[in-house]
Amino acid sequence: MKRIGLFLLPLGLFLLITVFLLQGLFSNPRDIESSLLNQPVPTFRLPDVMDASIEYGPEVFDGEVTLLNVWGTWCVTCAIELPFLTELRQQGVRIVGLYYEQNMDPDFGGKTLPEIRLDIDKTLSQLGNPYVFNIFDEQRDTSMDFGVTGAPETFLIDRQGKVRLHHVGDLNERVWQTKFLPLYQELSQ
Amino acid sequence: MLAELGHFSLVLALLMAILLAIYPMWGAQRGQVLLMQTAKPLTVGLFLFTLFAYLCLTQSFLNNDFSIAYVAHNSNSLLPWYYQITAVWGGHEGSFLLWVLIFAAWAVAVAMFSGGIPQDILARVLAIMGMVGIGFYLYILLASNPFERLLPFFPVDGRDLNPLLQDFGMIIHPPLLYMGYVGFSVVFAFAIAALVAGRLDSTWARWSRPWTLAAWVFLTLGIALGSWWAYKELGWGGWWFWDPVENASFMPWLVGTALLHSLAVTEKRKAFKSWTVLLAIAAFSLSLLGTFLVRSGVLVSVHSFASDPTRGLFILGLLVLVIGASLLLYALRAPQLRSVGRYELLSRETMLIGNNILLCSATLVVLMGTLLPLVHKELGLGSISIGAPFFDQMFVYLIVPFVLLMVMGPLSRWKHQTLPALRNQMLAGVGLSVVAVALLSFGRDGLSYMATLGMALSVWIAIATVQEIRQRLSASKQGLAGLTSLTPSHWGMVMGHLGFAAMIMGIAMVTSYSVERDVRMTPGDSIELQGYEFRFLGVEILKGPNYSGHVAKLDVYENGRKISHLEAQKRFYTVQRNMMTEAAVDPGFTRDLYVALGEQLNNGDWALRVYVKPYIRWIWGGAALMAIGGLLSMSDKRYRMSKLAKVRVKSEAMAGEAA
Repeated sequence: MKRIGLFLLPLGLFLLITVFLLQGLFSNPRDIESSLLNQPVPTFRLPDVMDASIEYGPEVFDGEVTLLNVWGTWCVTCAIELPFLTELRQQGVRIVGLYYEQNMDPDFGGKTLPEIRLDIDKTLSQLGNPYVFNIFDEQRDTSMDFGVTGAPETFLIDRQGKVRLHHVGDLNERVWQTKFLPLYQELSQ
Repeated sequence: MLAELGHFSLVLALLMAILLAIYPMWGAQRGQVLLMQTAKPLTVGLFLFTLFAYLCLTQSFLNNDFSIAYVAHNSNSLLPWYYQITAVWGGHEGSFLLWVLIFAAWAVAVAMFSGGIPQDILARVLAIMGMVGIGFYLYILLASNPFERLLPFFPVDGRDLNPLLQDFGMIIHPPLLYMGYVGFSVVFAFAIAALVAGRLDSTWARWSRPWTLAAWVFLTLGIALGSWWAYKELGWGGWWFWDPVENASFMPWLVGTALLHSLAVTEKRKAFKSWTVLLAIAAFSLSLLGTFLVRSGVLVSVHSFASDPTRGLFILGLLVLVIGASLLLYALRAPQLRSVGRYELLSRETMLIGNNILLCSATLVVLMGTLLPLVHKELGLGSISIGAPFFDQMFVYLIVPFVLLMVMGPLSRWKHQTLPALRNQMLAGVGLSVVAVALLSFGRDGLSYMATLGMALSVWIAIATVQEIRQRLSASKQGLAGLTSLTPSHWGMVMGHLGFAAMIMGIAMVTSYSVERDVRMTPGDSIELQGYEFRFLGVEILKGPNYSGHVAKLDVYENGRKISHLEAQKRFYTVQRNMMTEAAVDPGFTRDLYVALGEQLNNGDWALRVYVKPYIRWIWGGAALMAIGGLLSMSDKRYRMSKLAKVRVKSEAMAGEAA
């Protein structure tokens, strides 16, 4: 009988794998959980995208529940969510932008800073401006620290400056109602 | 009309598979010859009906029949005719149709070329193929019908074939890979048939080995082609990305390689029986698992295919049935298998056990690396990703002992090997390879440890292979004339091992000594890289049948002499709105020059990526050598069916005497 146990091993191993495969089928592989969840935001020191003399750090999140929205003028989906974000701002939600430029490579040229500012102005005046201010992540390392995989992505940050939610993809009415609103209301109380 | 005929033909093929699964098996268990004889005609029917269905779909592509959903999604009236033919396997439904066509083709091949195999075994083998077939035909008909119509509202023109697939490499890569995957179903069927019959002897190994070799050769070529395609089509100059889909094809290959070696022991020494059977089951199981991983969308990969949980669920159900049932049968029957061959610690058998352990460890590493992110997430531990550094590091650890065994194995005798003789050969081998590496890397600045190690291992394998042939020659006492007395399967081993050596050399050199530069250039500019001067002539507009784009022209000079002209393209496929890079490659025996065209910059300059990749051809050349080795082994006389028939008469006579 002991021998049979040994020969059953491959079957057991296979069945174990099957369980995980079955679970995997019903979860979205692109639904990535942020490792920063319930952790304080990473430290950074970055300028305002419009005015390099103003600098921001993690203290900008202190005392107020904030949405941190990662975006860029080059990102098509971001343009689609801008009007909805603007609506949220009108409802009193504080939204801070984390701006990064895809088409900016010191070796390859690409856009210059004045050009970027012009583009931002144009986009925001057309589609609405939801942002209190925009943090400029020129080297893209702060986005990296936040675990940003692309744009748009949105973080919900509580009064203590801790990341409470990380959403990949556009923020629309449905996502806001189901994913953000309950937590947002709880945190705002 | 054609689509309906094709669909009906598939239903008939399913019917054939069901009959094939029942009657021959029944006959074999009850000893009824008439029922066993139905196996062959049923298999032929299975193949013909599948072929007809396949041709119907192909003709629909050529007719631009966009009322068929699959055609509308994967073709376009502007697509050249040869891509319309290959577009049949460009999507999910069609590639499954190709899968079953190849499956049926293997089954027919078994039915046709197995004259020397006892009728009851053949009937069981084909019946098991029928059982596996039922599942896949059901899947096509129920969950993934390629003949579905878009009526009454169908598009005027199709959405075009994914431009990544519009390439020669892609024309043959999937069929070859599928030939390999599905080919393991034959070995699997042989293993299960032997377990059912309770007869597992060295003749069984002799029947299975050529089929294993055939599947393995196809898989080797398929993987190598995929790597070559990615190299020139994706424009990053890489040749292997440890992508989950690549891993899915690599696992059956590793286990298949282990199986080849283990079969050799079972055939010649009647040992490792239960282990060999397990490997045969594992090779096919991993092929199926690969299909599941690729087709279900469980894993994120650059090969993003349609993901649909119903389909995934269906394939997973099939997987559980096929693999689960066979592993259960294995657990029940394998303990009764007795391995009779005895051997000592220092013997070829031990080396081959080591080889098998290492190959299986490598498979486990790949399996874990591929599935761990999934497991980790499902356990609620958060998302992680496992990338190339993990695999690279693990394979560096595995390769050194693997090469050591690869050197010692062929030099050792079966059963018992004396230590001093082996030690002397190995010391000589090490000495020679150290000298060779010192000579090879003389004058190269910036030596890398990894490259040096890889070179040394590669050279050592080559030297050991020569030593082994010498040993054989001195044993035959015929001098060089003895070379002709070596069997084709022996030459197969030699080629396979040399191919592996060439591949290690290529990998080591490319990984450590590749040079890459991102540059911006205006026409007339030139840059220098590793003694090659790339002169940028300019960019012209490109116009293809279903794409437009730009082509950058460069001349390459070495020591002031023009050695090559390169044209790197960037194509925009208008229907799918996709950008594609077609890198320009100047291939060479010891180096590739590789240029990929990037974006145009604001001031009119162009971004270009220029690479010099030493010895990269050796990777694919090595794979080709291994495949040739496999073919040589297959051609060995002892696997010819007339020979097998004689063996069978002999073994039956012996069985008669024993009775």
